[in-house]
Amino acid sequence: MTQILVNILLPLILAPLLLGVINRTKAVLAGRTGQPLLQLYFDLWKLLHKGAVYSRTTSWVFRAGPMVGLAAILTASAIVPLGETSAPLHFAGDLILLAYLLGLARFFTVIAALDTGSAFEGMGASREVTFSALAEPAFLLGLAALARLTDNLSLTGILGGLTWHTWAASAPELAMAAAAMLIVFLAENARIPVDDPNTHLELTMIHEVMVLDHSGPDFAFILYGSSVKMWVLGAILVQAVLPASSAGYEARLAICLAGMFALAVLVGVIESVMARLRMIRVPQLLVAAIAFSLLAIILVLRRP
Amino acid sequence: MNELIDALMVLAVLLNLRLLGSSRLASCIRTVAIEGIALGLLPLLLAWNQGLSGRLVFLAVASIVTRGVVFPWVLLRAQRNANVQREVQPFINYPLSILTGVLTLVLSLWLCSRLPLPQAPQMLLIPVAMSTILVGLLVIVSRRLAISQVLGYIVMENGIYVLGLTLVQDIPALVELGVLLDAFVAVFVMSIVTHQISREFDHIDADQMDSLKG
Amino acid sequence: MTVSWLLWILLILPAAAGGICLLLRSARVVLLFVIAAVAGTSAVAAAAAWSVFAGRPIFAGAEWLYLDALSAYHLILLHAVFVLSSVYAFFYFTRERSSGPIRMRRFGSLWLGSLAAMSTVLISNNLGMVWVGIEASTLLTAFLICTHVSPSSLEATWKYLIMCSVGVAFAFIGTLLVAAAAAPAKLAASDVLLWTHLREAAGSLNPAILKTGFIFLLVGYGTKTGLAPMHNWLPDAHSQAPAPVSAIFSGFLLNTALYCILRYVPLVEIATGGSRWALELLTGFGALSIVIAGAFIIFQHDAKRLLAYHSVEHMGIIALGVGLGGFGTFAAMFHVMNHSLCKSLGFFSAGRLGQLYGTHDLGRMAGAARSSPVWGRGFLLSLLALIGAAPFAIFMSEFQILKAAADRGAFVVMAIFLAGAAIVFVGALRHAVGVAWDDPVGQPAPENAGLGEKLLVIVPLAILLVFGLWMPDCLKDVLNRAADVIRGGL
Repeated sequence: MTQILVNILLPLILAPLLLGVINRTKAVLAGRTGQPLLQLYFDLWKLLHKGAVYSRTTSWVFRAGPMVGLAAILTASAIVPLGETSAPLHFAGDLILLAYLLGLARFFTVIAALDTGSAFEGMGASREVTFSALAEPAFLLGLAALARLTDNLSLTGILGGLTWHTWAASAPELAMAAAAMLIVFLAENARIPVDDPNTHLELTMIHEVMVLDHSGPDFAFILYGSSVKMWVLGAILVQAVLPASSAGYEARLAICLAGMFALAVLVGVIESVMARLRMIRVPQLLVAAIAFSLLAIILVLRRP
Repeated sequence: MNELIDALMVLAVLLNLRLLGSSRLASCIRTVAIEGIALGLLPLLLAWNQGLSGRLVFLAVASIVTRGVVFPWVLLRAQRNANVQREVQPFINYPLSILTGVLTLVLSLWLCSRLPLPQAPQMLLIPVAMSTILVGLLVIVSRRLAISQVLGYIVMENGIYVLGLTLVQDIPALVELGVLLDAFVAVFVMSIVTHQISREFDHIDADQMDSLKG
Repeated sequence: MTVSWLLWILLILPAAAGGICLLLRSARVVLLFVIAAVAGTSAVAAAAAWSVFAGRPIFAGAEWLYLDALSAYHLILLHAVFVLSSVYAFFYFTRERSSGPIRMRRFGSLWLGSLAAMSTVLISNNLGMVWVGIEASTLLTAFLICTHVSPSSLEATWKYLIMCSVGVAFAFIGTLLVAAAAAPAKLAASDVLLWTHLREAAGSLNPAILKTGFIFLLVGYGTKTGLAPMHNWLPDAHSQAPAPVSAIFSGFLLNTALYCILRYVPLVEIATGGSRWALELLTGFGALSIVIAGAFIIFQHDAKRLLAYHSVEHMGIIALGVGLGGFGTFAAMFHVMNHSLCKSLGFFSAGRLGQLYGTHDLGRMAGAARSSPVWGRGFLLSLLALIGAAPFAIFMSEFQILKAAADRGAFVVMAIFLAGAAIVFVGALRHAVGVAWDDPVGQPAPENAGLGEKLLVIVPLAILLVFGLWMPDCLKDVLNRAADVIRGGL
């Protein structure tokens, strides 16, 4: 029972902190003091106390967007185990549900953006859809490779089934699946080198440009939703890379949390040393992720 | 040793994909050089358990030096002479070439399961060799620049080298040296012709050389 | 064992002479030296071939070098073409203004180097070395194409280099597969690639792998042979190279590659238990080449490109003849000789006419038979011989191939061959008539042909005429023994 509670509550509480760690890492590497670690919590608190402004040209779709998005992502977070225990929600094939929940959230963000009728938001929506059309197969194929490797169809089983032994026996496959997932992680969470979260130029934005017209609690939902999404995708990546299933539950949980924040630091480092790719090169990066996943699957299938 | 050989083969596949996805000539040349060095280590790994002979070490060193040092040097020089930095518009765009590169591996795996080839204990060797040959061909037909086509030829030679190591355990050293020498001279000759082409035409775009027809 | 050193001389002499060429001072001396070196080598080749036909195959160098009837026959042709072309090169280049000593030194050493490379192909017993020789000849001859550097010659060189290098790389895959197919025969590691050993153990080779290998070999060496549909480089290279180079390209470089394919035919046939699988594949490629070449010959206006497409056609005819087997193999061997002689003459004439007229356009060469009596007539007669006009030897060999087809009951093949030959005949005859009787359009430079040049025209024509009318017994014996190697007799 406590395990389930921890599994549900921990992501909800800690997710905004990830962003704080990323920003702090970037600040330290750039020699700045940077914003407080808990900045996103303050932002959310402030936004929740504001009223929302709705344009007269928008319909209910615009209002539903942030809520449906947040709901879908929160449900998704229940499928992903934490500390390689059983997730609150798990059944054979739940990884498909995960992909669809993330897709649902994206779909509502996109149509809410289109609903405003703004040219910029339409542009952002089209980019978002284009890139996720490439990121999604990479993600699913990567999961499929892991599923085949562990002979299991639920995320709980897959992530629990990966052990040090699996790493020793099939390192190339796992490494490639992990590489694909890292690229997907960066792309889905609108991080450099795919998108720049700090940009102030609408022309180059992808994710940010879609949510320009949301305000108040709606915007808080969106920010919170995207931080939970980062946690969800990050948790899958971390637990695939750090298989710790032989240890006790507390140790596994600790390893997993440490991995999450290490991932946040890694993202911060990546953002500090890399520039954003030109928009035209992004599909190439995502295709590379697909290629990694495909190679992982091919290699896994090759194993007798 | 087998895990190491498998890892080497995976590395070769990744390098092939990098070659297919990269437009900068200098980085393509370096990719091919790394692949040459990696594959040059292969005969040593294959014979590790039986013990190394002087002949083997000599051939491996010759191969590594040729593929990893001499080829890139010759090509980088040719590139500097021709003064081109990147392949601008290949006939098949980069994302599609990367996917085609993965497809060649699928195709090779399928072919290997159909062809009555002698199966080596390292299952990946023959498929990766075949896929490398196909990737080389793909680069030759899908790129416009003469230097890129030479790169494709080298990659193809790399693939054939692996195939040879796997299919025939003991090719006489003289033949192996002859083959290596031929590849070396071929690259040399091609880069000289590339140089002449760039002098005569002010470009090295093989696609624009189309005056001879019929 | 006393004659085995002859084989070594065949390799070392041209290679060394090629090196010496780089040291000579004037262009004239280089060209004369080339003639002397080639003549010397061909004397050695003749001696070696004589001892093969009078006695038994020669081995040398721990069985790495080997000369049997098939290779001896090709060796003689190789040297005949080279002697004629070297003499012609002297006449050709001394009339070119741009033949400076630097260029001629380079030409001489590459020329002799490619002779050495092609000899390596013919006298190697080791299939790996055969491949090395083919690849070396590709690389050496590439520079011969652009002896005179120009945009179009560079284009032709590049096409030739890339297509043939890739093709020959395929052939190497084929060679590897053949070596892999030998695994069940339990040959010693050093003998795996030796043709004679493979030939003895041919019955126990793995047929499936061998077949796969043969496809690679056929496509690979077929590219260099100029079999359709891998022939695209051939017309460009032949038309852009200087005429003497075109002559050895067409006269023998193609045959060298074809010879390599022929070496593998008996292995595959014996391993598959005489299923005719390899032979039918050869027939198919041959028929396709004849038809495709015919289609291009009709619309050709460039004299050298016309001859180049004729090469595609004739390589197809040889492949088809070998594919028919039996008497067809004999006829194909006969055809190899006829084609080499005739095509050399064709390129000699086209090259000199090109120099006289300043163009290779057939329309501009109208009436050449009257205005340039020696080379114009040489071109006319070689064209007539090439399309199979009656008293020349090519007519005889084509007729024999037809007969072989009829004997086998291969009427479809026969029909394709006849149709292709008819298209070629009509298409090329149109050009020939123009060259002979049309009113002159261009104004050629005076010919000034000396006795040497006249002999260059007369000797090949005389040989073709004589063999067309009468085949001496010794030639029949030589051809039969060469054909026997392909047919699988030891």
